[in-house]
Amino acid sequence: MASDTTEGIWDEERGEPGFAFIQPRFQEEKFPTPQVVGYILSLVLTFASFILVEDRALPASALLVTILGLAVIQAALQLGIFMHLRESRGPAWQVIPLFLGFLIAGGLIGMSIWIMMFKWGGY
Amino acid sequence: MNIPVNPPKVESPHLPLEFSVKQESIKITGFWMFLVSDMLIFASLFSVFAVYRSHIVFGPTPNQIFHYAPTLLETLLLLTSSFTVGMAIYAMRNDRQKAMMTWLVVTLMMGAAFVTTEIHEFVGDVSHGITWHVSSFLSGFFILVGTHGAHVSFGIVWAVTLLFQLSRRGLTPVTTRKLYTFSLYWHFLDIVWVFIFTFVYLYGKIT
Repeated sequence: MASDTTEGIWDEERGEPGFAFIQPRFQEEKFPTPQVVGYILSLVLTFASFILVEDRALPASALLVTILGLAVIQAALQLGIFMHLRESRGPAWQVIPLFLGFLIAGGLIGMSIWIMMFKWGGY
Repeated sequence: MNIPVNPPKVESPHLPLEFSVKQESIKITGFWMFLVSDMLIFASLFSVFAVYRSHIVFGPTPNQIFHYAPTLLETLLLLTSSFTVGMAIYAMRNDRQKAMMTWLVVTLMMGAAFVTTEIHEFVGDVSHGITWHVSSFLSGFFILVGTHGAHVSFGIVWAVTLLFQLSRRGLTPVTTRKLYTFSLYWHFLDIVWVFIFTFVYLYGKIT
């Protein structure tokens, strides 16, 4: 059903399949299952990281990496479920600049932290 | 400038209304480009915070000023409002304008509660002499969290105008496109908050 829709647009706009990861895909559920599941998962992830920190379940640096990982999973959930990342008339071009943005953002923050580690006395 | 009030003709009826007119669906792609650039603004503020969070001088440490109950409340409010705006778009896709507007009003009320809690926290800090002049850590903290709060406040004003327009014009390719971009904006702010909650507040609790 969904693939018919997208192929129709594709033929009309581009006439060729192109890259798979920017193929448009629409959310057309009869019941808002993705929204409910996404909401529950986001609550679970938030409380998981809060409880991990509350209990000091891990050494400090491992704990930071774990909760940042949980935050990244939650961001991916929001993008995929709530933001309908791949919805578009033609190819979902927004995916490419978005991932380029992730690369720049990650580089900016990661490199800033990395360079400050060389300061005397540590970061 | 002459702004047409009559909605444009639906070109692709098999698509959701907000994508059904080419001119309008291009604006959704354009809004994604805005979100990417806005993400880079937050990335630079996060990197400033990451670099300066240990520069406390004679000011308070993160653990001394963060209150976890209100922060957890803010997180709950924003996560729930992200869900309700998702439900608003779901109702919009099913052509249920009343349900859509109800979900949107719920979203706005939670957004307002979020901003109120945040302002309350900030006013409390300032009344104890904890301002952004005190240390680099506090400068980075207030600018990062304040920029996010300003975005949420703007989003509330924006959505109120959308509600007015929606009640007057109904669900058209133009109004649905505007509501769809608003939902993208709101989810984006929720993602930014998840990182603020993790990297500012929870990290402050670790060290």
